[in-house]
Amino acid sequence: MSEPIISVQDVSVRFHRSRRHRSIRDLVFRGQGGVRAGEFWGLRHISFDVQPGEAIGVVGRNGQGKSTLLKTIAGVLIPDEGRAVVNGGVAPLIEITGGFVGDLTVRDNIYLAAGLHGMSKKQIAASFDEIVEFAEIEDFVDTPYKHLSSGMKVRVAFSVVSRLNEPIMLVDEVLAVGDRAFRDKCFERIDEMLSEGRTLFMVSHSEANLTRFCTRGLYLREGQLVHDGPIAEVVEKYFSESGDEAALRRRHERRMRRMRRRGLLGDEDDDEDDEDDDTDGLRSVV
Amino acid sequence: MVDSSYTRSPWARVRAIWGARRIFLLLVRRDLKVRYANSVLGYVWTVLDPLLMSLVYWAVFTMLFARDVPGDDPYIVFLLAGMLPWQWFNSTVSQSAKALRSSSRLIRSTNLPREIWVLRVVASNAVEYLFALPVLAGFLIAFQVPLHWNMLYTLPLAFVIMAVLLCGIGLALSVLTVLVPDLNRVVAIFLRLFFYASPVLYSTTRLPEEIRWVYVANPVSDILQLFRSGIFPHYLNWLHVGYAAAVSVVVLALGWWIFARLERTVLKEL
Repeated sequence: MSEPIISVQDVSVRFHRSRRHRSIRDLVFRGQGGVRAGEFWGLRHISFDVQPGEAIGVVGRNGQGKSTLLKTIAGVLIPDEGRAVVNGGVAPLIEITGGFVGDLTVRDNIYLAAGLHGMSKKQIAASFDEIVEFAEIEDFVDTPYKHLSSGMKVRVAFSVVSRLNEPIMLVDEVLAVGDRAFRDKCFERIDEMLSEGRTLFMVSHSEANLTRFCTRGLYLREGQLVHDGPIAEVVEKYFSESGDEAALRRRHERRMRRMRRRGLLGDEDDDEDDEDDDTDGLRSVV
Repeated sequence: MVDSSYTRSPWARVRAIWGARRIFLLLVRRDLKVRYANSVLGYVWTVLDPLLMSLVYWAVFTMLFARDVPGDDPYIVFLLAGMLPWQWFNSTVSQSAKALRSSSRLIRSTNLPREIWVLRVVASNAVEYLFALPVLAGFLIAFQVPLHWNMLYTLPLAFVIMAVLLCGIGLALSVLTVLVPDLNRVVAIFLRLFFYASPVLYSTTRLPEEIRWVYVANPVSDILQLFRSGIFPHYLNWLHVGYAAAVSVVVLALGWWIFARLERTVLKEL
């Protein structure tokens, strides 16, 4: 097989449960180290390689590390251990409206956002019409961005980022926005990019989307990679483990309650229903 | 190629920043564009702001304390020559303290060397400084103040030392304020203090001997003197310039080191 385009090697990311974190002095002078009180691993020992042209779907329940993994690959988060090596540019369809400024016109914004992602002026000029047409905002090109409706904003952003000439696409649930017609267009665009041989990395809860675009699946649970295989197999495993809907919801809610309490109280595992008045969380954990 | 492992050598960081220079320029241009997009007067404010501010101080000191104007003559020129670089310093420090937070959405969606978000603040304020220089030139002409030829190198030198110092302060502050938001308030108060502890409004030659060392030790003060020495050459003191340059380089190294150490933690907080 050829050189992997993405190589994730034993990546771990540590997060804080409570608002309080270690003192600055600690961070500056010690830096490394294991998990301390009030911390947990958002990702733990994740390793995998991705070949060019693969389409990968990441599944897992909320808070199990999917977005963290995507961010690590996008390079906007630095792992605490291990490394993520990405051989090529990334078109991150995460927080796509991030590069846009409300006070400038749509035209200025398209140039700026595309430029920020590394396109040259000439390239942007060449695909400018295409971008505008795809977003269906021909009449608003000289309107300040802040005056667009929220759906239109996302449309502009998606059409800019999806026009980037990068070999890797990261997609994090952006497809949930926009009206149906536009969503279909987005799907077509993704299909098109896939057929051009680009690599897709997608986070989704929708079985339909996953099986439509992806060939390989990664299943994350509690920050660990529990299954890596053909998408059908991974989706099957994910949904069977999640159980039927009622059980799923119950478990989810219980989990949320526990997380909430942990977040505020830092308690490990007793099951009483104290409410959130303890603010000095870190101290109570040992 | 992106290698998002933690340990990056200083050299790799410099290379990464150099690689992103085009985007950096784009950001600086965007900053200026945004600044001017929303106001009616636009560029005029760059000139008007320090001008009005100086006029206020000029009025106070030449009218209220007419006997004892605290700077060289013409006082308005003396004032502007210090006020413009001070404004650069002031706005850069206060903006870079918020640099990472205010562009957090961009930071979360683009993979650029994170130093850029601070450097762009330094740069766009430096451009503002340069844009405001015509005001000073106007007064120089109006008062027919002779320029000293040493301006040819003192001004660029002062500019460079100031930029280095600001990069250092900015890099350190940008990450520290994310982790300790209270610092923002401390910074505001320190800037006010620094304004009076630096010879913006007055000349150090008027100060009692005993406290002059404070001004020599304060690198901002030395840099301001250097900025002025093209117009008032008696302020030029190479020893002080050398000291300010050395301090600035140390601050840059330290600031960058702090930035590099805290970068990973800060990214999780944004």
